[in-house]
Amino acid sequence: MIADLAVRRESFLRCWRHSPGLTLLSLCCIALNSVSFAVVGLGLRAVVDGSIRADFSAIVVGAAGAAAAYTIDLVVGQIGFELRTHVVGRVTLTEVQPEVMRATMGVDTIEHLERSDYLDRIGVVRAEVWRVVDSGWAAIEAFVFVVRLGAALAVLATVSPLLLGLLVVAVVPLLLEWHGGRRMRDAEAAAAEDRRLERHLLALAIDPGAGKELRVAGAADRLLRRQRQAWESAATTVVRARLVASLWSALGWSIFALGFIGGLVLLVRQTAGSPAAGGDLVLAITVGAQLRFAVEQAVERSIDAGGAALVLAPYRWLREYHAGTAARGGPGLAPPARLTDGIVLDDVSFTYPGTDRLAVDRLSARLPAGAIVAVVGEYGSGKSTLVKLLAKLYRPDSGAVRVDGTDLADLDTAAWRAAMSAAFQDFGRYRTTVAEGVGLGDPAGMDSAERIRAAIRTAGAEEFVDRLPQGTDTMLSTQFGGVELSEGQWQKVALARACMRAQPLLFVLDEPTASLDAPSERAIFEAYMTRARAIRGGTGAITVVVSHRFSTVAGADLILVLEAGRLVESGTHASLLARAGRYAALYDLQAKAYA
Amino acid sequence: MRVRVRLLLLRRLADAGLPVVAALATTLLVQALLPAATAVATAAVVSAMRREGEDPGALSHLATPLALLGAALLVNVALKALLRPLATLTKIRIDGAHRLRVARLAMGAGTIDTLEQPRTQDLLRQVTREPSVWLEKSISDGVLGQLRTVVQYLGLAATAAVLASFAWWLVLVLGVPAVAVRLLAIRRWRRHFRIWSAGLPDHRSAGYWTEVSTAPAEGKEVRVFGFADWLVGRQQRHVRTHLGPVWADDRRAGLGQWLPTVLMFVPLAAVYVIVARGVVNGAATVATEVAILTAAWSVYATLISLDDVVNVAGAAPVVEAYEELAERLGAVSRPAPAVLGPPVAASTGATAPPVLRFEKVVFRYPGADRPVLDGLDLEIRPGEWLAVVGLNGAGKSTLVKLLAGLYRPVAGRVTADGVDIHDPVAGGPAAWRRRLTVVFQDFVRYQLAAVDNVTFGAPGPVDAVALEKAVTRSGLAPVLERLPRGADTPLSRTRSGGVDLSGGQWQHVILARACYAVHTGARVLVLDEPTAHLDVRTESEVFDRLSGTRNGATTVLISHRLSTVRGADRIVLLADGVIAESGTHEELTAAGGRYARLFKIQADRFVQGYDDRLEGSTLDGESR
Repeated sequence: MIADLAVRRESFLRCWRHSPGLTLLSLCCIALNSVSFAVVGLGLRAVVDGSIRADFSAIVVGAAGAAAAYTIDLVVGQIGFELRTHVVGRVTLTEVQPEVMRATMGVDTIEHLERSDYLDRIGVVRAEVWRVVDSGWAAIEAFVFVVRLGAALAVLATVSPLLLGLLVVAVVPLLLEWHGGRRMRDAEAAAAEDRRLERHLLALAIDPGAGKELRVAGAADRLLRRQRQAWESAATTVVRARLVASLWSALGWSIFALGFIGGLVLLVRQTAGSPAAGGDLVLAITVGAQLRFAVEQAVERSIDAGGAALVLAPYRWLREYHAGTAARGGPGLAPPARLTDGIVLDDVSFTYPGTDRLAVDRLSARLPAGAIVAVVGEYGSGKSTLVKLLAKLYRPDSGAVRVDGTDLADLDTAAWRAAMSAAFQDFGRYRTTVAEGVGLGDPAGMDSAERIRAAIRTAGAEEFVDRLPQGTDTMLSTQFGGVELSEGQWQKVALARACMRAQPLLFVLDEPTASLDAPSERAIFEAYMTRARAIRGGTGAITVVVSHRFSTVAGADLILVLEAGRLVESGTHASLLARAGRYAALYDLQAKAYA
Repeated sequence: MRVRVRLLLLRRLADAGLPVVAALATTLLVQALLPAATAVATAAVVSAMRREGEDPGALSHLATPLALLGAALLVNVALKALLRPLATLTKIRIDGAHRLRVARLAMGAGTIDTLEQPRTQDLLRQVTREPSVWLEKSISDGVLGQLRTVVQYLGLAATAAVLASFAWWLVLVLGVPAVAVRLLAIRRWRRHFRIWSAGLPDHRSAGYWTEVSTAPAEGKEVRVFGFADWLVGRQQRHVRTHLGPVWADDRRAGLGQWLPTVLMFVPLAAVYVIVARGVVNGAATVATEVAILTAAWSVYATLISLDDVVNVAGAAPVVEAYEELAERLGAVSRPAPAVLGPPVAASTGATAPPVLRFEKVVFRYPGADRPVLDGLDLEIRPGEWLAVVGLNGAGKSTLVKLLAGLYRPVAGRVTADGVDIHDPVAGGPAAWRRRLTVVFQDFVRYQLAAVDNVTFGAPGPVDAVALEKAVTRSGLAPVLERLPRGADTPLSRTRSGGVDLSGGQWQHVILARACYAVHTGARVLVLDEPTAHLDVRTESEVFDRLSGTRNGATTVLISHRLSTVRGADRIVLLADGVIAESGTHEELTAAGGRYARLFKIQADRFVQGYDDRLEGSTLDGESR
């Protein structure tokens, strides 16, 4: 709560620093608006009283006051709100959102992107980061509500102190509205699962890919039935809650209305026959109606503020998480310019947070400088985890990865990564031009057309890139007005990206050719290997190839066979076959199909 | 906004049901009349109070006007209590009906070509999008907005009547500037809308890069390649390109606000003074004055609010897109034949598989200059295990889609037992598909219970016997046993009690789905690249299972992994839009044609390490 307050304060100060003028103007509008209805009441009373007493100057002053206050309520209040939205929007999009993106990407490991509970929090912040900025304003608004209520009551008290009793009566609907609002929020949360399911089923219904199967299987009718069920189930939950909330609200406001009517009857009895009769009544009715409006708005905003709290908590978490990971950095040594010995995995163990199975289990191996190392194993054997550990995307729980004798943890993360490159199995399909999609592989070379060309050539992607409508300037993604690539072409773009760095010490190729036909697979694979051979000489670079296709790894200098996170065999293709163990068995399984 | 769109919106009210709409409209109407009614009741109280001066002590004639005023206040409470649930119910029903209608429309088209067109996909995105930015509104927002707009004008008329009780021209004194304020606001809003929409592509791009910053797959590359700063810079560039002009317009619009301020302040003040003077002059009573003072501002309050203008304008693109979509998809959707016939010999699988024939089939994708299939002839014999191989892009998947009736050939025809599968007399593709099941590479992962994921493989009521067989024979049974709620476990973590399956586990589910279809009457089983993403052991297991579950059905296997097809009864090689080679593995290898070369490439891997291959083997054109 206190921490939330600090964020609210900080957010408001950001707005202030960003646009002091507009912020001040907005505050003025909000302040003016807070007393507008009290002034309307006073002004209208002056007009009525003035007309009865034939006091012309009172009429003019009253009329001007009332008209001004109405105008403030409808126009100036709106301006204040728009200014606030404007400032909040600008600060959100130009300051806080980039900051959130930097914090997310600035964490050097990727645990927070792979754990669903962390990802949920990041998703909330990403979607509603404006609420963080708005939270300071929401606090001011709460204060303004109190002023508004106070001003209204003070004016009512000038008619009769008895009307102050309305404050007590107004508390009833306030509490009941709040209760109802909470109920609505709970109902929305309860309906979320059904809504998600309905959304999923509708998405399937309109998707051409799923459409093939839906038609062939004749599943359309049943899908529609499930969609309807899910929607109606969500609808029932929400409508029922809305009905109950409305009943509570009606009860509260009926009590308020009865109290108000009682006050009016008293007022009428007091003033009936007196010259002031009309004016007081007009004032009481105008301001009384305003009380209801103010209370409703306050409830709405307080429920809204509850929504803000749901964003503030993960926002604070993300900042702390980022700060925490930044603080754990080691001495930040520079990686060697060339590998002389190699990379040693020394008794490395790793368990994904939130799971209880060792993904890598006391693994020790030496990847000699200049070697092409293949890592094979079935799903879940720890191949991808090993790659992530080498790229410092995770840190080992115990043991160490040493690069020419230096613990990877002691190397500067950014520098180590600048000394490696990788083509991942689940590579990014960036919706941008081919040139940028490739250039991302080394932002420093992004502006160099020659380097990008060279990378494309190295990856064997030149042929298809040249056939694209605008060559390397072609947008990739039909949604952004470009072309759609085939799986194999995307793979080549990813490989070209990985080739941007000319002299990496470590080059990782993760499951490179899953869904390609034989010639394309061969072409890509050869491009990989040419690359591996080209870089090994200069810097003693190590190439790590991860695969479950044994045919692709037979020529490696060293093959590591993983099973359930453990290294079960290692050696060359020939030595492993001779051993007639795990590798030989799996190899035979695939090879016999081609025998 | 065009009248046609407004009418289309109002027509959607029918989806909420007559009683709900009637209740909602009545509530809105009474609410719109309430400011005028309150003003009249207040005036009545004042008038009674003033007579009180002439006849002090007797409060009797105050009772009725006070009761009226009290009633107006209580009615207001009751209306609000009614309005919110009614509006919620109306909105939910309209949106629900709309979404079902879209789903039905999208799935109603017998063939899939229209659905695949980019324009159709754009329209579908448009009609199913959930409002994410302020200028997007759901269809029900538009419907309610339109209804409220109609009703509001009735309320305005009542207020005008109150004003006219002093003098008719008072209506003009307030009405003309109030309308001017509204028109100014609309003009300003339109301009803003235009500027905002002009930047939509940048808005989408900015959103895309923001998403990338938190995506796990891209996250690895962001870190390894170190392009976080570049990404933020790119995102910010899109944000500024989109919103720079919008923010400038905000400023301009803010500065222009003096005009509505004046247009509201001056007439209101003038009316107050005029009416008060009228009382001083004896031209009007205090009661009339009170009524006008209480009611006058509601003219502005009603006209100045643009919420419903935004609602209608924001929903208009949805309605318009729906109309176009209905036209596109409606043209290809054929009404389902009245009688589909009984499920073909459920569970027993007694009927024989049909003879399938592609006769001179030509197929070309719209806009493509070359046909994918160009006079293709192919006969698939009953019970045969046929493998179709070819390079990426050779048309293997197109062949499957034609066989399933998802495309119509441009020329030629596809027949089952001599009958064109598109022949409406025979029930069209829908009837044909009951005899067919296809395992697509991009199979559907329903976020439904495991059992549904199996039984969604075939239409009609669940056949418990077939389900049992399918689960056992596909090897799904042990997977189900380990799930927390067995077969009822939803297969998605987004559902409560649900789990995400691994790739291998999904493969069992899909196999069970195909088996279920085979055991409920499908006699032709098509497998489109089923094992591309599997590891060695799972792949061989899948094929062992498959041969056990065919149940005599014709099997067509599409693959580029030649090790998996060599056991087929017959292998056909698809190239240049026709069947280029056909025969058993041994025949084709012996013939030394393209198949033999393709097989050699893959087999070579196992014979020699790639080191050797680098220097060697020039293959004629296959890799180009």
